[in-house]
Amino acid sequence: MTMGNHMKTAAVLLTVLATPSFAQDFSAGSEAKSWNLYSEVPARFDATVVDLMCNMTGDCPADCGGGTRQLALLRSADNVLVFPMKNNQPAFTGAANELQPFCGKAVEVDGLLLDDPEIGAQNMYLLQRIREVGTEEWIKANRWTKDWEAAHPEAAGDGPWFNRDPRVQAEIATNGYFGLGLEQDAVILKELFP
Amino acid sequence: MFRQTLTCGLLAVSGLAAPAYATEDGTRITITGEFIDTWCYFSGVMGSTDSVVGTSHHTCATWCSAGGVPVGLLTEDGKVYMVLKIEGDTNNNGGDTLLNLASDTITADGLAYERDGLNYIVVEKVVSNAGITRLSHEDFGAIPPFAVPEPKE
Repeated sequence: MTMGNHMKTAAVLLTVLATPSFAQDFSAGSEAKSWNLYSEVPARFDATVVDLMCNMTGDCPADCGGGTRQLALLRSADNVLVFPMKNNQPAFTGAANELQPFCGKAVEVDGLLLDDPEIGAQNMYLLQRIREVGTEEWIKANRWTKDWEAAHPEAAGDGPWFNRDPRVQAEIATNGYFGLGLEQDAVILKELFP
Repeated sequence: MFRQTLTCGLLAVSGLAAPAYATEDGTRITITGEFIDTWCYFSGVMGSTDSVVGTSHHTCATWCSAGGVPVGLLTEDGKVYMVLKIEGDTNNNGGDTLLNLASDTITADGLAYERDGLNYIVVEKVVSNAGITRLSHEDFGAIPPFAVPEPKE
């Protein structure tokens, strides 16, 4: 083999190793349930739970911010930073609360990646279940509403949390459903519900 | 020789890969954009991207912000910056500052970061706030429709 061939082989290898994340398929073994999203791709992989702000800026509190920050998954296979934007509840709820107990830990996750480069959706994730590496039992990513109920005993009642949330109620009471103020809101409501 | 070349190649790959807690300086930018609910925008769960911005989606954007769904700044050229921090408030998991700015269009000074195809921003200063400027309810009504209950007589 000539020196030129060696270099070509190495170049090919480098290209393969440096190919972006979606060249890899993480669907093996996934039991993720479909949400019927246009760009969803089942994905089960090992990762480390990291604090996004810390990862970008070096501002790194010991406990990943204690639940006040968005967290991410640094995928073990390729060092790609995956952003979990959604937990497993169809309730307008994010994934940070689900990841907080695993701050800094090695985990295995199962869920849905979004892959729609046309609008910039890549390395975004809907987390459905998680477990610490080395443990057997999966934990469903369904804790958000329990956390909310514990934090808002005064808002106990029927119906979904977002119709009872004090901050959401205050926003609607001040600026209306469309955010333009109560006077304009009334005009729009008359148009929508003549 | 091949082994040496391969080793050099692997070292090069290792050098390119960022460590777990890599820090960067960020790029200073000034941008104008709308605070959006990134899950509804990127997942398409509620429909087209046009329908999940502005007035039509304001109530849902408020729900999602309170629910800890990441908030993004959507610029006119369609780029979305995930907000890491805003004017000293690092609570981007349902924090008050971002909740109160849902759907507003602001001009912001800050530091931008890029990692694995996604853009992030630390907003250091909100230079101006134009409020909600996109009157998307004119085309879409309320998205989702159940976000706005029919007024009782």
